[in-house]
Amino acid sequence: MTISKRLLGSGAAVAVVLALAGPASGEDFRIGIATAQTGGLAFADQPSLLGFQLAVEEINAKGGLAGKHRIVLDIKDTRTDTAATVQAAQELVAAGVKVLITPCDADPSIAAGQISQPAKIPTLTFCGSTPTIPGAVGDYMFGTFPADNYQAAVLGAFAAEKGYKSAYILKSPDSAYTLKLPEYFAEVFKKKGGAVVGEGSYTLGQQNFAAEVTKIQTLNPAPDVIMTAAYEPDFPAFIKQLRAAGVSTPVLGSDGVDSPTTLGLGSVVDGLVHSTGGFPAEGTPLAAFYAKWKEKTGKEPETIYVATGYEVGYIIDAAVTAAGSTEGPAIREALANLADLQLVTGKVTYAGSNRMPLRDVTLVEVRDGKKSLVKRATPDPADVPAP
Amino acid sequence: MSQLGERFASAGEAQLSALLLAAVVAAGALLLVLVLGDWGARIATLYLMSLMGVLSLAVFTGNSGIVSFGHASFMGVGAYVSGILTMPAAIQQGALPHLPDVLAGHQLGLPLALVMVVIAGLVAGLVSGLPIARLSGSGASIATLAMLIIVHVLLIGARDITRGSQTFYGVPNLTTLSVALPIALAFVVIARLFKEMPFGLKLRAARENEVAAAASGVDLFAARYAGWVLSITMAAVAGAVYGHFLGAFSPKDFYFDLMFTMIAMLIVGGMLTVTGAVVGTALITGVIQVLRQVESGMDLGLVQVPVIFGLTQLGLGLALLFAIWRRPLGIAGLTELQLPLSGRRASVPAPAAVAPAPSQPARAGALEVRGLTKRFGGLVAAEDVSFQVDRGQIVGLIGPNGAGKTTIVNMICGQLAADAGQAHLDGRSLAGLSPSAIARAGLGRTFQAIRLFDRMTVLENVTVAALAVEPGPIAARVAAASLLERLEVIGDVTRLAGTLPYGARRRLEIARALALKPRYLLLDEPAAGMNPAETDALVGTLSRIRDDFGLGLLVIEHDLRLIMRLCDRIVVVNKGQRIAVGTPDEVRRDEKVIEAYIGRRKDRPQAVPA
Repeated sequence: MTISKRLLGSGAAVAVVLALAGPASGEDFRIGIATAQTGGLAFADQPSLLGFQLAVEEINAKGGLAGKHRIVLDIKDTRTDTAATVQAAQELVAAGVKVLITPCDADPSIAAGQISQPAKIPTLTFCGSTPTIPGAVGDYMFGTFPADNYQAAVLGAFAAEKGYKSAYILKSPDSAYTLKLPEYFAEVFKKKGGAVVGEGSYTLGQQNFAAEVTKIQTLNPAPDVIMTAAYEPDFPAFIKQLRAAGVSTPVLGSDGVDSPTTLGLGSVVDGLVHSTGGFPAEGTPLAAFYAKWKEKTGKEPETIYVATGYEVGYIIDAAVTAAGSTEGPAIREALANLADLQLVTGKVTYAGSNRMPLRDVTLVEVRDGKKSLVKRATPDPADVPAP
Repeated sequence: MSQLGERFASAGEAQLSALLLAAVVAAGALLLVLVLGDWGARIATLYLMSLMGVLSLAVFTGNSGIVSFGHASFMGVGAYVSGILTMPAAIQQGALPHLPDVLAGHQLGLPLALVMVVIAGLVAGLVSGLPIARLSGSGASIATLAMLIIVHVLLIGARDITRGSQTFYGVPNLTTLSVALPIALAFVVIARLFKEMPFGLKLRAARENEVAAAASGVDLFAARYAGWVLSITMAAVAGAVYGHFLGAFSPKDFYFDLMFTMIAMLIVGGMLTVTGAVVGTALITGVIQVLRQVESGMDLGLVQVPVIFGLTQLGLGLALLFAIWRRPLGIAGLTELQLPLSGRRASVPAPAAVAPAPSQPARAGALEVRGLTKRFGGLVAAEDVSFQVDRGQIVGLIGPNGAGKTTIVNMICGQLAADAGQAHLDGRSLAGLSPSAIARAGLGRTFQAIRLFDRMTVLENVTVAALAVEPGPIAARVAAASLLERLEVIGDVTRLAGTLPYGARRRLEIARALALKPRYLLLDEPAAGMNPAETDALVGTLSRIRDDFGLGLLVIEHDLRLIMRLCDRIVVVNKGQRIAVGTPDEVRRDEKVIEAYIGRRKDRPQAVPA
């Protein structure tokens, strides 16, 4: 008895809430956002959303998408839970959103995409960088962030340019990102004449890297470079223990370490080179964006995800403008054919890219708690490993 | 209609309760749909899916008391099996290019896929249960945690089949309300009925008191194994349904986060009942669904409620804290949902339906103890102790504190392995037998500190033991009820054993031991804590039991008055050695006995008080 009462009670409360929320006006363009504002993915989804909201504010100030369709956001927290993402996607699709935004991870993005795909709703993942995301879902699913294999291609080419001949890769089978990115790197590096002389494996959340560090120390010949896609808390633990053991081999990382934590690690990360979505070098559009952000919020963006989230707003604006329509199929078509769209971190091209954008990958070097630009590069399509 | 009425009338309380609970779940789900439409249907589906997982957990954890951390990964097994078997071939070729041919291209429908999931779940349960069912308490919990990790690693390792840690996608989104509802209702009924079935009863007895369960003939391994296998099979099915809801997942979706959510739902609702699983899942689902609506921000006309993400997590934490603070046993506590009127009538099978078991005539035979020896390090707790209890005889085992009585009893009952010597039951050696096997072989026992199954009813306490000797569960219930009536344990056999007064607890323990239809009964300090009047009554009861059941009784007691009045023969031990054996009169005059009890007197020996 208590059960039905409780369900009824909560149901009624929700019904009231829903009734009061009210529908959006007819001209509005409703964008559903099902992302992880809490939980393990919040580190990426939160800043992405903040950036995106600024873009929406600006676009609406100019009259809306294509100058006429005011954006209304329908935001749901997925709590870093795939089932909650599915529920949010179901609700948003039922609510008639025109575009769906999904979290920075493959599982929930693909799960949500499988729901929006049959409804012909263009769907974009904030910073999900797994290159298989669009292919797994279908023609309405788009990535927005530089894909893992693009990052790996640039990192691999960079390693070869630096004259490194041998590499050690550290990967974790626990997630696609920590497993596949180093594997993509190894593929590129070998193609460029390098050799992978050792591989280490770790568990996400592992605190003790003594075994891996010892393995690296005893490698003969010693590797010229170590590559990993580890991020916090694993990366800080690893690099501290590696340097404490006296190993000074250069380390290459990926965008997962593009966080204030890394900059706060001190001298152990001096010389670390990692890939990321962009760098605000003086005079670049990104520097201008950072200045604008600082003016608005009082502080510099802490991660690149603010900028890449901001860009997603303009990617949608460009697609709706090019489509001349607010219908899903037209927007999808326009989105898939976008080319050389100038955004704050660089140019974005979808044409011919299987919905994972071709865009610049930036390499930065960390020293004295600051990042400096190493290079910005568009991966050579011949180098990019198949997803 | 009348047919259904008849079925209800003849169905037992458990069946009624199961159907009622299922009806409440169904009504709740349908109400959500009626009030909230499609949106309500989605919430109901989520609820029912969670309920399946929690019920699968409840079957093992609720009944055994062993918190399992392993179920989430077995849900993963079900999700992957069903995912592979139902996946459209075109997607499968892209997603799983290296899938072994045996598994590829089946494109089964959901019902057939679920059959395969059941088989996979059975196999996984049978294999994983082997180590887990051998353990108890926190050791078993840790073993389930190990299972979670092992299965997780296997799922990641089998890259050709599961895509490893990469997203496993293209699983058809088949889980709708019409799929989830019947399966969830079946789960409710299965979980509720399992509690009352022989394995469920035995598992609960083991949860309440492992030693007493073994002494009541419960094979702990078998009970836990059966519970685990059923539970894991259900988990696999729940996982398959969950997988078809997600459509895309990876092993991390079936790991700690899912496990903790399910455990929280179970504990908040109440681990000890199926009603608890239903309520706890409803409460947590309800809190999540309401708060996530609130946190997304609302426009209430005049007031603009801001977006506050994190409210769901925070509210959930507070709800958990509050529920456990107010109701440590969970919301449902100890009681299952049942019709208020159905209670009494159905729970007591009429003992008159079956004539009380006729007294077994005292036949020849004996419990023989031959040369039992036990050393703990340098201390000799028992040395070469031999004596005999004939059928129809009452033998007392006495000795000062620390004389080794308990050690001897524990060796006879199989709780302690003897260093030398052994006990024989009617010529059959008991050496190497487990306590439960010895109980089933015909040796019942009671304990010095009463060991009942406190959170089970009086009737259930006795039924557990009766299951060891009766042909079926109904026969066991009837036998238990008639025994309870004969021994005048307590009027209301549906009371929880833990609520009984002291005297009734003693009588219940004896009744439980007698339900094994033993040929010998070992009573460890049955008069402990009794006043003289109660002790007198006990003497009468024990003599009657001996006569009625033709038993051989071994009574360990400190109360020498009781022993002298009750026993045909008395065995006296001191410092681990048998120092005297004989009739009460002989023993009373034995010099060694007097010395052991009173100390040496220079002038004249004094008799032990009569």
